[in-house]
Amino acid sequence: MSSLDKLMNLHGAAAAFEFSDSGELTNQRISDDSDLTTDALDLLAHVFVANIAIATMQARGWEKTTGQGGFYPVQGFTLIGLEWSAVGNGHRGVVLRNNACDFEAAYAALDS
Amino acid sequence: MSVYAELADIPGVIAAGEYAYRGDRYNYKGQLNDEMARMASIMCRATTMGTHMQTEILCANSENCPFDPAHGWMVRGPQFSVCVVANVFCFLQNEAGLLNRVMQQMQDKLADVDEMI
Amino acid sequence: MIKHLLALDGVVVVCHFRDDGALVEGYGLLGDDMMVRLAKFAHDYKRMVQGNTDQFSMFTGMSGWTPPGGWIVRGAKATVCSVSNLVCFIDNEEASLNEVMQALTEASRY
Repeated sequence: MSSLDKLMNLHGAAAAFEFSDSGELTNQRISDDSDLTTDALDLLAHVFVANIAIATMQARGWEKTTGQGGFYPVQGFTLIGLEWSAVGNGHRGVVLRNNACDFEAAYAALDS
Repeated sequence: MSVYAELADIPGVIAAGEYAYRGDRYNYKGQLNDEMARMASIMCRATTMGTHMQTEILCANSENCPFDPAHGWMVRGPQFSVCVVANVFCFLQNEAGLLNRVMQQMQDKLADVDEMI
Repeated sequence: MIKHLLALDGVVVVCHFRDDGALVEGYGLLGDDMMVRLAKFAHDYKRMVQGNTDQFSMFTGMSGWTPPGGWIVRGAKATVCSVSNLVCFIDNEEASLNEVMQALTEASRY
């Protein structure tokens, strides 16, 4: 089973996708009952890349300033909407329904 | 008890707090000092501004956008994670079961907050 | 008040936005709806840059960065640049970025 198919097996998954270092969408799965489009996933991929970059800057600054490690390197960013959340790490992301959302399972699947 | 104080009492949570969307007021409870809490508030406010702008762009050309409005975000490091819903932030250890518990509580308690006050 | 900026070479749009992101006035080659969107985007982007500059200043302890004076996003053919509550959309081939930034700075003081 491909890594995207594994992500689609997460409970409440509406879409799973892969993207390049700069955030361009390279591969995707969208469930039949979802309104998500490839354009929306491409934007979401750019959201991940942008926010992981910002979070990395923050983790770096936080560790240098406070001496408290544990945030760097950043291993994922999640955007939480009203009904849906998008969990991303590395070059992959998954969109999950909030009322069924197992964030830890999503991160574990993205790590594998 | 406020939402952030309840979160701070959960075992495995390092600290939790709330920040104002405008200005520099903040409150917190847990294992942070005052300067760290101020810095955490500045960082969380900046990322929240970014995610709000991004979701507006994401949803500008879509009628059924699943992320409008942005309710929060989370970021994960090797040992710790940061969760933010509305204007409440929570720093927590990466322990099995904790992230889901914290997020459930934050979403339940802060589900109705959709205005950036 | 800001309309004269359109006379500069390569300036396609100039727009003035309020502190809440509402459009005050806008001129150039954009429809009303897109002008409102540009004002909102420029306002949101300004706040994001402010937030990131605050963090840079906080982490480095350097003075002289906050509050930020403006921002520039340069694309292959076009650039969006902003000073204070003014934003310009310019054509890279025709415009002088230095000239536009200077004019924006002066106009922001009116």
